[in-house]
Amino acid sequence: MNIIEVENLTYSYPAAKSPILRNISLTVEKGDFLAVVGNNGCGKSTFCKTLNGLIPHFTDGDFEGSVKVDGLPTLEADVGTLACKVGYVYQDFENQIVRPTVLDDASYACLNYAMPDYIKKGRQALSMCGLEGRESDYIWQLSGGQTHLLALAGVLSLQPDVLILDEPIAQLDPGHAGKIYEVLKELNEVHGKTILVIEHHTEYIADYCKHVMLMRDGGVAWKLPTAEALRRVEELKECNIFPPQVTIAAHKLKQEGKLSKEQSLPTTIPEGKTAFRTFSFYPDATPKKKQAAAGEAIVEFRGVSASYRSVKGDDRAVFDGLNLEIHRGEKIALIGSNGAGKSTLMKMMVGLRRPSAGDILLGGESIQKMGTEQLSRSVSLVYQNPEEMFIKDSIRADIAYAMQVRGVKNWSERTDGLLARFRLTQLQERDGRLLSGGQMRRASLAIGIALNPQILLLDEPTANLDIATRKEIMQTLSDLRDITETVLIATHDMQLVCEWAQRIVVLCGGKVVADGPRDAIFGDSALLTAVGIRPPEIFTMGQALDSRALCYTIEDFLHHFKELPQ
Amino acid sequence: MKKKLSENILDKFSIDFLRNQVLKNAYGNDDTVIARLDPRILLAWYLFFGLTPWFVSDLWFLSACFLLVLVTTVLARVAGLVLLLFAVGVFTQTGYLLIVSLFFGGDASTIIPLLILTLKVATCSLASVTVFSGLDPDRLSNGLMWYGCPERLSFSISYAYRILPMLMEEFQNILLSFRMRGNAPAHDTFFGKIRYLFYQVKIVMHAFYPLMLNTAKRSRTTVEALEIKGYRYAAVNKTVKKMKLASLRVTYNDWLFLSVSFLLVAVAILLSTLF
Repeated sequence: MNIIEVENLTYSYPAAKSPILRNISLTVEKGDFLAVVGNNGCGKSTFCKTLNGLIPHFTDGDFEGSVKVDGLPTLEADVGTLACKVGYVYQDFENQIVRPTVLDDASYACLNYAMPDYIKKGRQALSMCGLEGRESDYIWQLSGGQTHLLALAGVLSLQPDVLILDEPIAQLDPGHAGKIYEVLKELNEVHGKTILVIEHHTEYIADYCKHVMLMRDGGVAWKLPTAEALRRVEELKECNIFPPQVTIAAHKLKQEGKLSKEQSLPTTIPEGKTAFRTFSFYPDATPKKKQAAAGEAIVEFRGVSASYRSVKGDDRAVFDGLNLEIHRGEKIALIGSNGAGKSTLMKMMVGLRRPSAGDILLGGESIQKMGTEQLSRSVSLVYQNPEEMFIKDSIRADIAYAMQVRGVKNWSERTDGLLARFRLTQLQERDGRLLSGGQMRRASLAIGIALNPQILLLDEPTANLDIATRKEIMQTLSDLRDITETVLIATHDMQLVCEWAQRIVVLCGGKVVADGPRDAIFGDSALLTAVGIRPPEIFTMGQALDSRALCYTIEDFLHHFKELPQ
Repeated sequence: MKKKLSENILDKFSIDFLRNQVLKNAYGNDDTVIARLDPRILLAWYLFFGLTPWFVSDLWFLSACFLLVLVTTVLARVAGLVLLLFAVGVFTQTGYLLIVSLFFGGDASTIIPLLILTLKVATCSLASVTVFSGLDPDRLSNGLMWYGCPERLSFSISYAYRILPMLMEEFQNILLSFRMRGNAPAHDTFFGKIRYLFYQVKIVMHAFYPLMLNTAKRSRTTVEALEIKGYRYAAVNKTVKKMKLASLRVTYNDWLFLSVSFLLVAVAILLSTLF
């Protein structure tokens, strides 16, 4: 049975010149788990909003064709009726939560639609999302992943048949991301919900979704079973979608003629194990060259403790006696789950947060005695949320601001240089907030290095970006290597960690639990499980084939795994 | 100590601290005696103690009322910042007059009227503090709704508390951007300090523009989510109102609270007629 039937849907936003959705016809079966993929701006979110009636009931525009959900035409039903059939979780889900406590928010919609058993429905939704026991908590006590689950529970309480999630895991660490998908899987399999996700992470699509729909220029290019869809490597790459690394590796091997034509491309690790069964691992003949000795320590954390004020009861400790040394010229990745204190550590280094005990030394001097203005000459922090760095009305003014007020000579030329380096010259008069995700990120990086800091701190530089933009930012980051001596990145993005970092610091429970080069961290499987790190897929693939293999990139993998001579 | 005092206002009075105090004030004391009272009873109680002191000038009566609201304020465990604001408020309203009049040869005849005025202001303020700070915003808005205040007002109250911490965090980050990238004037000398203060006030004002734009960007999702969650339906639906108010219940404690208040006022009136 089809739960969603779309016929010849064409839609354009008010005052838009051309339609954003063009002639879409589609059916989705009840019980499907469908991934919607496509380039940025191809109309994925717009399409999903036609399903719950926000378009055209809330946002006007030219709407042609018909959309039926569970046999009900959306043009005839109102938003309330449709909300009981289709639930929608936004990408910026925290703005979707309107009530202060957990149970309150979960049952709020049911209350508004005057359902007498609203509390019970809210509780049921919470237990489906694994939030039992948190009913009376306040929403700011939840972690990022739990907040997402709450947003999901809020729409689930109306017991819709269809759930739509816009990039559910973009802001989450791998542990929480896995949890979200496990919940979705159960909703799909046990409770029979039809689920649509807009998703860039093809590893998750391969593991969880049943079908994939590719959108291109406002139309549906195709809808296929997941495995078949992910094997269309070239077509996906044209739309800036990157298939799982295992698939890409196999695809390359096939192109080089090293994998037989009959072998279908693997999309998951178990499939990869079968596909690569004839391959074996060839270690490097020459031992890796030793890393250059570390420079002198420029930042030292000595027994640093820090805590947050809590609304009730005792303060919550983030660090308790943290010790860490950062040396000149190092490229460090700081990893750990949401709430492990990565951002706090960075804020302490720029003096925005003072430690409650212990001391932080910068170049041998305690930063307690330095003001923020003085510190920011040597250390620069780029926030996770670039919007908070835009304090002027154009990005040119934003980049120039720090140099201008400090009377840096030839600040105007330097601004021109930075704009050109980050490919922002065309956009220089625009307000930063109105740029696309990748452009905002580039602008915030330009602002961060404007004062030529000795140490650059980047908080989640690749979060919330689609894979293509992420690759672009990673390129920008490697270009930065030569400009800024010492760089520290806090991130969940293990591909970035593997390809960029020389040293990895793992934070967990307010302590440094591991510290070393990537082989030491990713080679320690007990540590990975304990802290909840999910290495890049190709690394896991290599490990599954041979435990000696430490392949961080597809190139590494292709280099080290060769077919046995017959 | 001197050095600490001269540290800048943003350090002393950080947004982080403010945010914490707002949250503490709204939700940090939901397990107190006052918070467990029925909001309707408490609002009626407030109506009495917020209004009558203005019309009565009897010292006995006013002192008794003041003592009572002082006790309820303690019971409500009001956040420190609110109490500080209260103290500053009362002092600037009338308290300073009391001191000034003493300096310039005032005697009992000047002190008594001023004391009465101060007591009036203090009683009303503390009664407000007890009710509006002791109740969490949701119970407060339910109580207001029962008395017929529009749904929109009560939603606004609880939503304001939901959004305020987020706004403050955003504001804090924008201010930090200014601090990291700006160049504050040196503040070792007295004039430097004054310049520095002006600089900081200027920064706070400048920070509003990005804050507003960022908030506008966020609120799009919230507006759509409210629409989906049926906020507009509920606003005109009588059944929903009933369901919301069904959780309100007058208990034994409420009557006890009212009786104690009543008894105290009665005793005060009795005393004032006796003496």
